[in-house]
Amino acid sequence: MKWKDQFRFIRQNIKKNKVRTMMTILATAMGCAFLIVLASVGYGLQESVVKDTLEQQVVTEIDIYGFEEEGEYRSLTMDDIDYLESIDGVKAVTRRNQVRQIPMYMLEEYKAEAMTYVTHFPSEVEAGLKLQDGRMPEKENEVIVGSHFRNYLSVNTDDENIYDEETGEVKEEYIYPDDLVGKTINMEVRQDLEGENGTHTISLTVVGVLQEPSREWMQDQNVYISESVYNEIEEFTGTPGGELGIDPGNLETDTTDTFDEVHVYAKNLEKVQGIADKLEENNYAIYSVVNEMEQINMLFTIAKAGLILVGTIAIVIASIGIYNTMTMAVTERAPDIGIMKAIGANPKTIKQIFVLESSYIGIIGAIIGTIVAYLISVLVNIGLPFIIEMAFEDELPEGLQFSAIPPSLVFIAVGICLFVTILSGMRPAKRATQIDVLKAMRREI
Amino acid sequence: MITVQKLNHHFELGKKGNKTILPVLKDISFQVEKGEIVSVVGKSGSGKSTLLNLISGFIHPTEGEILIGDQRVTDFSETKFADFRLKHMGFIFQSFQLIPSMTAFQNIELPLILKGESESSREQRTLEMLNKVGLESFKDHYPSELSGGQQQRVSIARALVLEPPLILADEPTGSLDSETEAELLTFIKQLNTELGVTFLIITHDEEVARIGHRTITIRDGQLIEGADA
Repeated sequence: MKWKDQFRFIRQNIKKNKVRTMMTILATAMGCAFLIVLASVGYGLQESVVKDTLEQQVVTEIDIYGFEEEGEYRSLTMDDIDYLESIDGVKAVTRRNQVRQIPMYMLEEYKAEAMTYVTHFPSEVEAGLKLQDGRMPEKENEVIVGSHFRNYLSVNTDDENIYDEETGEVKEEYIYPDDLVGKTINMEVRQDLEGENGTHTISLTVVGVLQEPSREWMQDQNVYISESVYNEIEEFTGTPGGELGIDPGNLETDTTDTFDEVHVYAKNLEKVQGIADKLEENNYAIYSVVNEMEQINMLFTIAKAGLILVGTIAIVIASIGIYNTMTMAVTERAPDIGIMKAIGANPKTIKQIFVLESSYIGIIGAIIGTIVAYLISVLVNIGLPFIIEMAFEDELPEGLQFSAIPPSLVFIAVGICLFVTILSGMRPAKRATQIDVLKAMRREI
Repeated sequence: MITVQKLNHHFELGKKGNKTILPVLKDISFQVEKGEIVSVVGKSGSGKSTLLNLISGFIHPTEGEILIGDQRVTDFSETKFADFRLKHMGFIFQSFQLIPSMTAFQNIELPLILKGESESSREQRTLEMLNKVGLESFKDHYPSELSGGQQQRVSIARALVLEPPLILADEPTGSLDSETEAELLTFIKQLNTELGVTFLIITHDEEVARIGHRTITIRDGQLIEGADA
């Protein structure tokens, strides 16, 4: 018997019991939609978390915290930087040292405290550092400042009224009003060593302002100085990095060529894993977004598997309906099956027709369920943020996606649906092949 | 065409542990030659329908052998017998056994579908058969819309559509009036003469039995006469 004829048989049989078949399809569709919608929450939240993580960080960046030597971690030196730069796939290696006090910056009657770093500008530029205004430093006393530095450069006063009550930020009228590029600012550093206290002022010229960080909520108010200015601070304070209140007996004997922060930038995302593996092999303590992604993805894979399992229960319940429908169909059609067997229908063909019929119910149910799931997913993504905001008066993170249905989820759901429905049709189909011809023709079944 | 050798069959009645053996056929042996019409007669309960069911493969004999052509059908599996029935046998039943949800055309077409014939060939052959049994104008009628005689003609058309060499008929005129019965018997004779189809007809009606070239009589499960061709 040809497939085409088998499908024609199935359509004829379904037509005979339209309502019953439609109800079974509906149950299957509901089960399938439930599975997809449930699992789509896992997919949606994973997508949002991954997207958020990737947006917060430069995906090609690998942070290096130190080098493990005999169970202890040491800071990275210039030798390490040379090695890191030699690794295949590395685009740039940036290194920074932080001034270990917060200097005061003064410009006319305005002042601000800001974290201060010395960095290697060529590698920073190579890594993607961009200015929104001005140029990179060329001379020793030239500096660049973070995009939010000006917001903290406020009128030199103890008056609390300069701060906005709601945001806690300095009011616009108290902030330095002009562009900073080309201005000379005075950096005041303090000394606190063996009872010697004092301040030292270094005159610096702002030559550039960095681009704003990628995320709206991130603030960059730092000042980036040259190595000679850093050395001048150390010379004045007599401590490494200009640290305050340090016990002279604990002074580090050699701080040259070590770096507080080292970041490796890969040429592209594909190279990150290889570089990270190599660095770990060579005892570097690292962190990269790829590692975080692996952990996030693992966590969500487990969550999604759990959700799919719960959703599958709905399909299994629906399959009871299919089993019932198919069993009734076999009983109702027993005389016809008997006649067909009598005139020479192969038992395999009869089984095939019933398995196909249950698969047909399964596939139609899965298609309807998938369409419904997509609609629910769209509605959830539009409606749920409003509901949550209204109910909890809490603003949700921008771009948060509750539900996402990738094609892989559709394949999984349709696959499970088909498997379960075929399985539930197998027993009735087998029963159909076992129908006794004579009893069936005598209408005794 | 058909060789039945030392065929014994009994039914087991009752439940496990309390079974009663009911012998139905005892040591039956006979032959039907190709192109013959053989009538099997006997009273009700004599075992003639069981004999037909055994030859058809609907039930498996307790003992003995049945050969159809050169094939030992008693050794066949259910699947093999189904294929064999489709290709080599046609059936005419007392109660017609038409599928009620199918039209006359669809009922006749069914064996062709099961055999996997192409749609065009199916249509042509089914129309030919409808024409042969004089029901071309009733092709879209459902069995419930046909008279008993018409239903039996559809049943015959279905049995003949694959042109099997052997037709097994179980009380073919049992549900027909005398006029239709006469028409049907003439038709059977015509098919036998024109197409050389072998008929094994089970009947308790002597009129029907008379169309056979030979009559086999069964009484109480035993063959009384007519074993030899």
